[in-house]
Amino acid sequence: MSLLKLENVHSYYGRIHALKGISLEVNEGEIVTLIGANGAGKSTTLRTISGILHPREGRILLNGQDISHMEPHKIVYAGVGHVPEGRGIFPKLTVRENLEMGAFTINDRAEIERRMEYAFSLFPRLKERINQKGGTLSGGEQQMLATARGLMLKPKILMLDEPSMGLAPRLVELIFDIIKQMNQEGTTILLVEQNALMALSIAHRGYVLQTGQIVLSDTADNLKANPMVQHAYLGIE
Amino acid sequence: MLAFSLVSGFALSAFVIVLAFLFQNTAVGASVMQRFGVSLVNYTLLNLPQVLMDGLTLGFVYAAIALGYTMVYGVLEFINFAHSEIFAIGAFVGVEVLIALAAYGLIGGQNSLLSAYLWLLVALLAGMLVAGTMAVLVERIAYRPLRGAPRLVPLISAIGVSFFLQDAIRLIESVTTGQFHRIIPAFGNFDNRIPLFTVAGNTVDIQIKSLIVIVAAIIMLVGLNYLVNATKVGKAIRAVAQDRATASLMGIDVNRIISMTFLIGGTLGGAAGVLYALKFTRIDPFVGFFPGLKAFTAAVLGGIGNLTGALLGGIVLGLLETFAGTYMSIFTMGVAGAEYKDIFAFGILILVLIFRPQGLMGENVAQKA
Amino acid sequence: MSQVSFNRLLETARQGRWPYILTLAHVLIGALLVYFSPRSNIAFLLLLSSLGTLYALPTDRRFKVILGAFIALVVMPIVGVRNIFYLEIIFQISVFVALALGLNIVVGFAGLLNLGYVAFYAVGAYLWAFFGSQQYYVLPFAPGTQPTDLPFLLPGDAFYLFLLLAIIVAALTGILLGLPVLRLRGDYLAIVTLGFGEVIRQLANNLDKPLNFTNGPQGITPIQRPTLPQFAVDAFNALFQPIIGQPVATATLYNVMFYLLALLVIIVIIIVTIRLEDSKIGRAWTAIREDETAAIAMGVPLVRLKLTAFAVGASFAGVMGALMAASRTFVSPESFSFMQSIGVLSMVILGGVGSIPGVILGAATVTILNLQVLQGLSLYLSQLRQSDAVIPIINFAWRDLSTQLDPAKYQRLLFGIILIVMMIFRPAGIIPAQRRQRELASEHADEKQPA
Repeated sequence: MSLLKLENVHSYYGRIHALKGISLEVNEGEIVTLIGANGAGKSTTLRTISGILHPREGRILLNGQDISHMEPHKIVYAGVGHVPEGRGIFPKLTVRENLEMGAFTINDRAEIERRMEYAFSLFPRLKERINQKGGTLSGGEQQMLATARGLMLKPKILMLDEPSMGLAPRLVELIFDIIKQMNQEGTTILLVEQNALMALSIAHRGYVLQTGQIVLSDTADNLKANPMVQHAYLGIE
Repeated sequence: MLAFSLVSGFALSAFVIVLAFLFQNTAVGASVMQRFGVSLVNYTLLNLPQVLMDGLTLGFVYAAIALGYTMVYGVLEFINFAHSEIFAIGAFVGVEVLIALAAYGLIGGQNSLLSAYLWLLVALLAGMLVAGTMAVLVERIAYRPLRGAPRLVPLISAIGVSFFLQDAIRLIESVTTGQFHRIIPAFGNFDNRIPLFTVAGNTVDIQIKSLIVIVAAIIMLVGLNYLVNATKVGKAIRAVAQDRATASLMGIDVNRIISMTFLIGGTLGGAAGVLYALKFTRIDPFVGFFPGLKAFTAAVLGGIGNLTGALLGGIVLGLLETFAGTYMSIFTMGVAGAEYKDIFAFGILILVLIFRPQGLMGENVAQKA
Repeated sequence: MSQVSFNRLLETARQGRWPYILTLAHVLIGALLVYFSPRSNIAFLLLLSSLGTLYALPTDRRFKVILGAFIALVVMPIVGVRNIFYLEIIFQISVFVALALGLNIVVGFAGLLNLGYVAFYAVGAYLWAFFGSQQYYVLPFAPGTQPTDLPFLLPGDAFYLFLLLAIIVAALTGILLGLPVLRLRGDYLAIVTLGFGEVIRQLANNLDKPLNFTNGPQGITPIQRPTLPQFAVDAFNALFQPIIGQPVATATLYNVMFYLLALLVIIVIIIVTIRLEDSKIGRAWTAIREDETAAIAMGVPLVRLKLTAFAVGASFAGVMGALMAASRTFVSPESFSFMQSIGVLSMVILGGVGSIPGVILGAATVTILNLQVLQGLSLYLSQLRQSDAVIPIINFAWRDLSTQLDPAKYQRLLFGIILIVMMIFRPAGIIPAQRRQRELASEHADEKQPA
């Protein structure tokens, strides 16, 4: 059985019909990526899964349980982590406090410290900034913080929204390495990326979104080889 | 914090002393000489310490109320107009508890001082409990359904709640006691004055109840500071204040945290109400209006959303108001006196909003982004 | 089942001759009932509500105007002469309709919440109160110490000039307040205007020294009224003497005159409001209300338009203030409290923000609730209190009921409930403005945010 399953999901922003019947599946242990142009509905899909938006039609199943109308915090408790677009760190909380927020659902202090150490081992730079306010970090550091905060939860499935946005190439590689490592340690990943090539290079499977609909789904390798994908998203003529 | 109140106190003192020197040889000086038999400068100096003390006490009352406004504003960017009535509810509950205790002979008369303080604490806690609960209920009923609506919609609802509660208190008091003006029973030694020091033969003293107000307000601020900065709930409150959607992605129950914020703000407001009743003895259902507006002014003055700012704003406003109330009548020879002290607070509010809407310590929130 | 037949009934009432028949019947029954039982509140409310029927049913425009004018100019004065209390209520309603329409310009059209709106009303009232009384000669005297034989500064007929002056002075006050504060964000603006309203009230309270401008809390009295034109008195008596059998008392004539003046002011205000709404200015206000940033980007001169809204709203209140001062011959700071501002706000909210018929209905409803229902209940309770009646079961003697429970004193409760309930359940009001209805509809379509 798939870990996460969307069945014919329709979402709206006000009167704007943003998702027009999205169906997709993420199996345990996979990295699945959503690619598509700006405004195709990638972020909306993630926001709908994590309960910030509720679908007006269709169902979202986590381990077979319907979470379509759960409040967002309950969805987090159910095991869905979401690193939102634009990083969404808390600018006036320190790095440490931001990470503690990531582990809000956990009450065991020792466990929180363990996870924080693990996060710091992946992003040593953050440890140097531990008492600095989130808003004073550089863009790259903020992205690291957002990703590290996503790790603190140890979710069953982690959804990452544009983790490479605005980052130097070296940092992009670092972040993608960490995503891969997390996956190997057992976290299922749902990845939204502008940088389709990069995303497809670590993903197992992918979905292509266009104006709120899924137009293509295949294994990552097949998608990379697909002429339409190459033309539209990989910049290969 | 201490430094700041000292600075503002000194600045105001220096200002009136300079004024006194300037007006010493004018009609103002002559009228003071005629009325009090001392020179204007001497008169000013002699009054100063007491004015500073009274101003500080008033300032702490404002600060305690301002904390509630600033907490809620910090989280929801919403002026909880009904906070002044939460304050009034606290005052009424505290006073009614004390009246009941007096009726049972538990306070006043021959009872020990210790019991007086103990029962005051009971009244304080009762006021806090009821006011906090009411604040949560008000949010649940009148604000939560309006979240996400244009900014003025919940504000209008809050004004409605404020009016509703004023008359509800009046109704309940009228039904149960036949009147709605209440006076705190005399008990304990709270009216006694403790001499602090002597300046040129004039003793500066402070009423015990003023001291209680100051100590309680400081405890409230320190406690709140700890709660917000060091506890998990406090961090969640700050997270919700900064980014509600992301906070919910951390597993924070945003509605619960907002309820918590109202609970904390309401509890502090209730405590402030009981302290106010202790200090000023008479209360009625409309007692919250002016202190509420002034506390809001204090919150804006300090930088709304900022806890320390609320304290500073309260102290500055309390000092300003007391200075104005005392010296304005002297320097204008009775033309404009203490009766203008309410206007004074509004004048400050308007000036602050026009020239420094972010307040003394806050970030710029007053103007549309 | 009953729902269906009720709808069918409504449908019929809107077709063919039915609207005319129903409207006329309503007016006729109302007028007759009031005429034959001049003390019945229900009859009076029935007559008043016939104006609503006239507005609501689809009849010819000319029919509406003629019948409306007939009710306002003939029926109401007759009713008023029979029972002066009703004329008083209609006058009060007119005052509040004008205030509510003025506030509606500020809140409804421009989207600026003004919580100190009665300040402008106070400006108009005190303007005529000062110049239309002996107050100019009272200046050097503390309240209560002036000699009794002071002359009046101006003749009573200067009142008409001061109606115009009140418009100008109130508008200038609005601009004066608006200039520094209009760049503030909405909720801060609300609090600042609240402060301004209190400042004006406190000034009225305290400006009895060093010079006695306002006579302090006691207020200014007597204030002059304009003289009754003799030809109008004669004409009125010629018309009414046969009906009521005696010449109409001067006090009643004054009431009728002020009622007619108020009516005139209201009609002008309504015309101005309708013109404004459909004008370039009105559309610019809508733009500001809906999206200030976008409005600036479109080149809307923000501050100037907000000032216009403030000034227009203020002028409505100013003129009614002067009219009120003359009709009461008395002003005091008490009439200009924060509660009055909120009362006017609740009228606007109840009827429908931005909707002219809505605001008129709101003002009428709240005023009637205040004057008829709450005071009626008070009267009833005080009668009970004087009787030996006892509430059964709990065995409570009405006599023991506290006089503090006088419903007339619980206006705040009424205003509060109106504001809360309307905001939660029907933010667009009873008769929503058509434009506003669309706005709110789109807002409700928004997906529920998590917080």
